[in-house]
Amino acid sequence: MKNKILPPFLAAAISLVGAGCATNAHYVQTGGSQNVVNIGQINIQDYMQAADTMTGELLASGALDKVSNPPAVLAISRIVNNTGQQIDIDLLTKKIRIALLQSGKAVTTTVMGLGGTAEDPMAKGLQQEAEFKADQKVTRTPDFTLSGKIIQLAVKAGNTSQSTYSFQLSLTDPRSGLAVWEGEKEITKQGTRSSVGF
Amino acid sequence: MKTRILLPLAGMVLLAVAGCHNSVNTIENAQKEGQRQMISDQRIITDQGLAKKVSFVGINQTMTPGGLLKVQIEVLNRKRSSQRFSYQFEWFDTSGMLLNNVASPTVADEVEGGESKFISSVAPTPACRDFRVKFIEN
Repeated sequence: MKNKILPPFLAAAISLVGAGCATNAHYVQTGGSQNVVNIGQINIQDYMQAADTMTGELLASGALDKVSNPPAVLAISRIVNNTGQQIDIDLLTKKIRIALLQSGKAVTTTVMGLGGTAEDPMAKGLQQEAEFKADQKVTRTPDFTLSGKIIQLAVKAGNTSQSTYSFQLSLTDPRSGLAVWEGEKEITKQGTRSSVGF
Repeated sequence: MKTRILLPLAGMVLLAVAGCHNSVNTIENAQKEGQRQMISDQRIITDQGLAKKVSFVGINQTMTPGGLLKVQIEVLNRKRSSQRFSYQFEWFDTSGMLLNNVASPTVADEVEGGESKFISSVAPTPACRDFRVKFIEN
């Protein structure tokens, strides 16, 4: 009798436990309050916050509106990573580029890059071919270049660790060589060592 | 022996209580040069506890030189203890459609006891005229 009841009951219990474990993985809103927070790393919400703040400041400054032929053309220059961790700068710059494009205030060139490298080599080749055929320069020189730096400042007191990430950007007018807009967003995270939060 | 234990304990309790009730004092110029353009607002409160600690004082708005709407919300912590919260701006176009902004984060913030704080955002496009801000307790 005992043997007849136990195996189906055990199987059902095991399958329920298994099903419970399977639901552990779930989707969360990117950049939402349920995202994991690390002290020693730049999280996705940090990139989003830095990009959102600095784009807002740049748009509000009116610096992009001062070009003779709007929208302004932007070239991405060097953005130095001084954090000690390997990061993809596009996590910051792409968000800014998309936001600026959507605002209608600026477009970014993909055929001009640092050290003569183009983000889109095929577009650069086709553009050079078009220039050669037309025997005249058709490319618009960028009105501005965007450069910057990401800095990490880590401190520790007892069991508490703190990291400040400073996102700095400069918008330079290449004709004058002057920075016409500069922005900085600092994000500080604190917690006990190796802790994660939400 | 009992006093030896109780005295430091009482001190710790006092310190803890004092730490929980650090509220902010402020001073500002009485005759204001700038005039805030306050706008009427519509509120939906589902968390009464958060509404007391992060209470909405008002919203004012202005236009940037580039024709973008800039919104500023004043929040006030009516309690004596600090409160962590997150907020997120949502922007709508002239058709009332939510704009899919790639960098529209949920921003973590903190307001001290008795502190008045401003949070602001700039519309992502000149077409944006409406907005909504969500607040959640952390």
